[in-house]
Amino acid sequence: MALSAMAGGEDWRQPPDPGLTRPYLDEAGGVDVPPPVREASGVRPYLLTGGRVRPADASLEIEAQVQTTPAGHSDADRLMFEHRDIVVLCAQPISIAEVAARLGLHLGVARVLVSDLIEAGYLAVRRPDVGLPQNKKIIERVIRGLQAIR
Amino acid sequence: MDSKPSDEAGELAGKPPLPVKIVVAGGFGVGKTTTVSVISEIPLLTTEAAMTEVAAEIDRTGHVPQKTTTTVALDFGCITIDEEIKLYLFGTPGQDRFGFMWQDLTQGALGALVIVDTRRLEDCYAAVDYFEHHDIPFVVAANRFHGKLEHHLEDVRWALAVSEETPLISFDARQRRSVRDALLSVLHMSLARAEYPR
Ligand SMILES: Nc1nc2c(ncn2[C@@H]2O[C@H](COP(=O)(O)OP(=O)(O)O)[C@@H](O)[C@H]2O)c(=O)[nH]1
Ligand SMILES: [Mg+2]
Repeated sequence: MALSAMAGGEDWRQPPDPGLTRPYLDEAGGVDVPPPVREASGVRPYLLTGGRVRPADASLEIEAQVQTTPAGHSDADRLMFEHRDIVVLCAQPISIAEVAARLGLHLGVARVLVSDLIEAGYLAVRRPDVGLPQNKKIIERVIRGLQAIR
Repeated sequence: MDSKPSDEAGELAGKPPLPVKIVVAGGFGVGKTTTVSVISEIPLLTTEAAMTEVAAEIDRTGHVPQKTTTTVALDFGCITIDEEIKLYLFGTPGQDRFGFMWQDLTQGALGALVIVDTRRLEDCYAAVDYFEHHDIPFVVAANRFHGKLEHHLEDVRWALAVSEETPLISFDARQRRSVRDALLSVLHMSLARAEYPR
């Protein structure tokens, strides 16, 4: 499964333009702006599930769509607990966030369980395309879709 | 479509939809949940997510600030855009702490709507900072509580020190069309950014 690239090339440590500083940033003659923290290597504790550790970067996006495969349907009865619940829930494609919300799971836990099922071939996944925010065609389609809302 | 093939799909009837998302941010009580639920086609859902926060105290000696992991509630809804695209709206608080971690949430977002209550402008500072620093297209939207704004929009722009190119609008979080228009202005920002990347 291809991993979407982390937003690369950004300078996360760049200080803001001093002309665009909110009033509170300007106190005491210019407080140093701490770099936005980006945890690349540290493993967040909630990703520890079932004794396995996954690097945070490998996380599926919370909006990634998952859907049960024929193999998932036929093996559902042999799966345990949440794995089975997920396979039953995802007969229609839904996001990982929905899996978490509907099963009352912490988002990080849902993400790990879903990853297991994808690896096992029980769920198919559709992740957001890399470069989506730069995809004019997609953005225009979203605009047209929203305009249709009354 | 220029999307990745999902090879694991096996013999699925159709391809799962292409998910896209817009983040709805702002302080507590500004109307994020109202905004998402008024336009979502599914009843609003909530999940718990972990966020790494940087302690509010800024260590001026250059040490990495203390980090803690907190759990925040994330509400979301979705809108079917067409036969392929599904738009997700994620509403999340993000005030108080400076440098909270939104990487997970904002990764790949088309843009963000930052809702402000003009009586408590400071609640949105953190969100505005975040989207500016990460070059995520955003729009600041003042929620018209009780049908009126406490401040003139230009005063709001001045107080927030957002650039002229950042749209500043007022809207009513309880009106679907008003929310639709606010989201459209986010998408126009996204489109402009896609056309003229920074
Ligand atoms: N009068 C009025 N009340 C609103 C408006 N938007 C939200 N509210 C109310 O303000 C409260 C907080 O809104 P909510 O959407 O939960 O804010 P959140 O904390 O940002 O999610 C709720 O009781 C809403 O019903 C508005 O435009 N006008
Ligand atoms: Mg809320």
